[in-house]
Amino acid sequence: MLLFRSEEHAERWTAQRRTPHGAFLTLEQQWELSRTWFEGRLDPNFARRTTEEARVVFERIGLAGPFWSLTS
Amino acid sequence: MAPTGYPLDPRATPGYGAGMSETLDRDVRLAVMRGFVDDERPPSPDELAGSLGVPQIEIEGSLRRLADAHVLVLAPGTPYVWMANPFSAIPTPFRVAAGERRWWGNCIWDALGILAAIGVDGHVSTACPDCGEALEVEVEGATIRGDGIVHYAIPAARWWDDIGST
Repeated sequence: MLLFRSEEHAERWTAQRRTPHGAFLTLEQQWELSRTWFEGRLDPNFARRTTEEARVVFERIGLAGPFWSLTS
Repeated sequence: MAPTGYPLDPRATPGYGAGMSETLDRDVRLAVMRGFVDDERPPSPDELAGSLGVPQIEIEGSLRRLADAHVLVLAPGTPYVWMANPFSAIPTPFRVAAGERRWWGNCIWDALGILAAIGVDGHVSTACPDCGEALEVEVEGATIRGDGIVHYAIPAARWWDDIGST
């Protein structure tokens, strides 16, 4: 998960390296995902999310479809 | 950090039952995270053994269980913590600052996640991989300010195939 100046920069970089085109998030979407994902990580009884719980987090932020599916 | 729930002298009861392993793993994970937060680096296995009062061999077993469960990542072939998301023990292009403290995130998701996990305002510095231009991101409360777009190359189902490159 890298931060690029713009989609144009990311597309040039991925094309040069034959890296998959993948998906884009705005910084605001990423901040929402980071906050939702990592809040509580320092709690003593933190437990990793199940695949279903992770799917719910992704969907709430608008990340749906095959790219964001945690099961292949 | 005070041990929480296992025998005062673990050598008196060699080996841990399933329940005791769970308790130890919880305390080891927490000590690793607190090390990152407070000391800006993870504790070594011998430091964990000293602070938790547990033989190092038990600590290393715990670290391997945590790695198998994808709770953290060990440097290949070692019992040393490489990543405990969102933190990285080695330098990366994602520098995080909050007050006087500094960390490295494994990626932009994790760099922002460090500030979220600790609950502090702060700053993430990185550079566009394409042109090298510095990209600065500021987090204040629930607000984020900065330029750039986040790119995910690898589909979610394959993130743990090679977490180092993900």
